[in-house]
Amino acid sequence: MHRVFRNKTAIFLFVAPGMLLFALTFLVPIIVSGYYSFTDTLAPGTKVTMVGFDNYTNLLFHDERFWLALRNALLLGIGFIVIQHPICIFFAILLDRLGGKAEKIFRTIFFIPCVISVVVISKMWLSLLDPTFGMLNKLLDLVGLDSLKHAWLGESSTALGSMLFILIWAGFGWGLLFYYAGVKGISEDLYEAAQLDGASGFRMHLKITVPLLKPVIAVQLTLAIITALKQMETVFLTTNGGPGDSTQFLAVYLYNKAFSASQYGYANAISVLFVIVCLLATYLSNRLTRNDATDF
Amino acid sequence: MIARKKTAIWIFFLIVAAGQLFPLIWLVDFSFNSSADFYSNSILKWPSSPQWHNYVNAWVDGKFLKYLGNSLLVSVVTIALTVVLSLTLSYAFIRMQWKLRSLFYTILLLGIMIPIHATLLPNFAIFKALGLTDSYFGLILPYTAVSVPLGTFMLSGFLRSIPKELEESALMDGCSIYRIVFQIIAPLLKPALVTVIVTTFLNCWNEFIMASTFLSKDALKTLPFSVMNFAGQYSSDYGSQFAVMVLTSIPAIIIYAVFNEQITKGVTAGAVKG
Repeated sequence: MHRVFRNKTAIFLFVAPGMLLFALTFLVPIIVSGYYSFTDTLAPGTKVTMVGFDNYTNLLFHDERFWLALRNALLLGIGFIVIQHPICIFFAILLDRLGGKAEKIFRTIFFIPCVISVVVISKMWLSLLDPTFGMLNKLLDLVGLDSLKHAWLGESSTALGSMLFILIWAGFGWGLLFYYAGVKGISEDLYEAAQLDGASGFRMHLKITVPLLKPVIAVQLTLAIITALKQMETVFLTTNGGPGDSTQFLAVYLYNKAFSASQYGYANAISVLFVIVCLLATYLSNRLTRNDATDF
Repeated sequence: MIARKKTAIWIFFLIVAAGQLFPLIWLVDFSFNSSADFYSNSILKWPSSPQWHNYVNAWVDGKFLKYLGNSLLVSVVTIALTVVLSLTLSYAFIRMQWKLRSLFYTILLLGIMIPIHATLLPNFAIFKALGLTDSYFGLILPYTAVSVPLGTFMLSGFLRSIPKELEESALMDGCSIYRIVFQIIAPLLKPALVTVIVTTFLNCWNEFIMASTFLSKDALKTLPFSVMNFAGQYSSDYGSQFAVMVLTSIPAIIIYAVFNEQITKGVTAGAVKG
């Protein structure tokens, strides 16, 4: 190994700016958050009184919303894993089989929702699911299923499901792209060999493609859970956690606590627990899907 | 047999694509209609006279050009910073020999998992104290900090797959480490760099919650705020609201149309290397 690769000055110049920026806007804030979480501050810059672990005990033992938000994230994560990801894998395999120009065209089309901003997506779906002029209810009218009409985002029984649907619509392209990349990495020879052995179609993919995609799946499942936990903007811009907390998520909750309810100290305690939950979820998910290829 | 199967997939995809794009088609369609038309029974409606003034409203009152300029400025600076920082970081992590590198690498990658929403509250207090709220840097710094961990992860994966011989022979020729990184390695990483650029672009172009927390000055606001402002100002004029949504989506769609091949290439290359 050449001594240049141990050049201390170069290493410092390469690492310091990035790490410093990351530390100052990511790690230091979390420590600051930790400090505020032990206070009952109303807003940044106002009087600070230390209250010890009060915020945490309230959150963990007396705050149903906190647990409801976690439950919603869990349900959403399960929704992603059970519905979105199998669909993505299925489409990735079909797309790979298609070949030629059509493969490229459909790959391009399926990704389009991913470049639309979250504000537009939220406002658009708010209109699409609107009880009076929304497209979905009109569509149900048209096919004579008007008994199924709902105020989709306005009823607590359908709100979380509608949210899942919107998020799958918006995120389908990314999932597809990653699985597609995984499928592309599988050697064509394997399929030929399998076909010689008489395997074909659905069974062949279940026996060959899916197991070979395991490293990709492992990473994607971890990301699915994190995505579910991190859910914020779409919820904030459509239901803002309602109706009746049915779409409450940690990030929405802490935001409203800090900026609408003026409980900045309490909100920071949610923030700290939020980070811990995300790291714990990552760790657990990595342990469950343990694989050499997952170096997250 | 195979041809028939392909046709079947083709037809199936066509139906799914139509369903997937239908909300967007609906959005464009009704952006040309007047508010009264929203309450008709038809799913799609050919406007009796296209309401171009919806788009005039969107352009003028949505302050399209001003916000577009802000979005461009913030995105370009963020992308430039992200590319340079991720490139040097990944090179130091993958090629250089130093004691704390795996620790630092792990810490940085935690940034992918830590939700930015948990940094919103403390950063709001810190930025306010430092006078960074209501400034371009108040957006550029956190956007870059969010993009660097992912960028470094993508570049590192790609860098591992590049053989070292080229760098070693460059060293023999007396090339400095800085020239190696920026003139030899950077061009080799092009597919991965394009992916980093595009994902960073999409992330900060469409970012909303940090911007809405850290900015209150109208002069600095980014494109998503065109839509947000409209929801209040034109709350009952749905046609104009839809027009502003369509209008603000166009730049990202154009960029995507230009770079779409590179996105796939970059992701594919990264994933195969695992």
